[in-house]
Amino acid sequence: MEDKLTKEEVLHVAKLARIDITEEEIEKYQVELKQLLNEVEKINEVKGYDDEILIAPWSDNTTLRSDSEGEMLDPKKVIENAPKHSGNYIEVPVVIGESEGA
Amino acid sequence: MKYLNKNIEELHTLLKNKDIKPIDLVNEAFENIENNKELNAYITLNKEEAIKQAKELENKEVDNILFGLPIAIKDNIVTKDLKTTCASHILENFIPIYDATVVEKIKAKNMIIIGKTNMDEFAMGSSSRTSYFGAPHNPWDHNKISGGSSGGSATTIAARDLLFALGTDTGGSIRQPASYTGIVGMKPTYGRVSRYGLVAFASSLDQIGPMTKNVYENALLLNVICGHDDHDLTSSKKEVEDFTRLIGKDIKGMKIAVPNFFVSDIVNREIIDKLKDTIELLKKLGATVDYIDMKYIDNAVTLYQIIAMGEASSNLARFDGIRYGYSTENPKDIEELYFKTRREGFGKEVKRRIMVGSYLLSGKNAQDYYFKALSIRDDMKQEFTKVFENYDYIIGPTTTTTAYNLTDPMDDPRKSFLDDVLVIPVNMAGLPGLNIPIGFDKENMPIGMQIIANNFEEAKIYQLASILEKELNLNLEPKRGENNE
Repeated sequence: MEDKLTKEEVLHVAKLARIDITEEEIEKYQVELKQLLNEVEKINEVKGYDDEILIAPWSDNTTLRSDSEGEMLDPKKVIENAPKHSGNYIEVPVVIGESEGA
Repeated sequence: MKYLNKNIEELHTLLKNKDIKPIDLVNEAFENIENNKELNAYITLNKEEAIKQAKELENKEVDNILFGLPIAIKDNIVTKDLKTTCASHILENFIPIYDATVVEKIKAKNMIIIGKTNMDEFAMGSSSRTSYFGAPHNPWDHNKISGGSSGGSATTIAARDLLFALGTDTGGSIRQPASYTGIVGMKPTYGRVSRYGLVAFASSLDQIGPMTKNVYENALLLNVICGHDDHDLTSSKKEVEDFTRLIGKDIKGMKIAVPNFFVSDIVNREIIDKLKDTIELLKKLGATVDYIDMKYIDNAVTLYQIIAMGEASSNLARFDGIRYGYSTENPKDIEELYFKTRREGFGKEVKRRIMVGSYLLSGKNAQDYYFKALSIRDDMKQEFTKVFENYDYIIGPTTTTTAYNLTDPMDDPRKSFLDDVLVIPVNMAGLPGLNIPIGFDKENMPIGMQIIANNFEEAKIYQLASILEKELNLNLEPKRGENNE
């Protein structure tokens, strides 16, 4: 088995992660990501465990909050934290294609 | 006159008798940090606000032992109106609009926040070298790492800049740097401390904890930060106790287990020898020590890689260039905004982990990797539970080596995980674990021992740690200049 990912595999993984990568980075990631994936493959060597899963170490103390009014953050400050904002709105680039636009 | 290398009780008396004021301590902390500037322990200093707060405190009654004392906060814990970067370019200018619960608790005791400490980017790494702001240096030898990810907090405590720091521990990030720098670091039981306001890395593993120069001060800080919080529903409803209550109590009859994995050939000889000396001491003090086999403990790194990278990929999806933080210039559409912002904003290690994590959680991989890891994690936790039916403590070395050179290669993505092979099992099982210094190697670099107890038994950990601290009586203040030319 080739000890690196294919270019296509790297591009697929980068797309899942929503990270843009350059042509020269692809080569590096082919090796590095494969090294990490080989590591996690070791999980298949573990034997003897049962099907019970543990999602968080302590689930027995999880309770629901009471359904009551609480403090909230100042919406103005929340909006101001956005890199681009206008009035009460967060600005984003065009989301739908021009042909689909109004 | 230097005050911040004194013990807390002395300082408290001086403050109470008005022999010194909080402002004296704040000024001294900033002086110390300035003198140790080359250690690069801080990302942001809170100078103006700290001085203002210290002056305000002059008219208040000194009503608790932590009153008026300076503290440093790891830079992945949000502080209102004080920059919180996670050592990442993507949050380089991020100013939070609320305080983390632990920060609220610290402020309620009138402790004074001095600054935000350096760390691995988003706490991903084991040497703090993935920081966008450059790595902190080890006060024992400036050419060596302080460990990570809480490297800045460990550095500032070891250098005696101040008495208190908070760190966070997802896979050893408090205990491992504490070991490399010769300080005391506690990862509390999962759920002991609220995670509200801790920028999430791996939510089922993350925990905030105290880093100090000695055991007693460590327990005092834990007293303040723990307790149930409605903002974090995984925080425990267990009653808050006094964690100092067993300090100094003898350990006669205590049963201690040492997993054979912890003394296997993955650990340097010098460290094993030092551990064995310590074990002899423990026996002399009336404890019994057995070597035991534990299943799954050697699989912890693999589980960690899957669970931590998976959870990280999901948690870090929020950095999209829209709601806060860095945003790329002039994107042509929303897709380009996401892809370019994340490309430009995240460092190498973080990107690698997000990519692998996304892959591990995608489609049927979730079943083949993530859920399988959770199954084995459950069995591993049960294995710990079984040991604690017969033993009070599990001990072992905290790290396999002492601190290595800052210039050592970083090109193998597996290295940062392997540095934490002995500390990760504790996070997997949600247990409390503490590093206590037990000596030095031949290069005079600190060696640490890890003490693990059953869930919510932090007070018992402090008991054993305090006895060792007293018996070993090590000089843990690094000498300025020595090894540091």
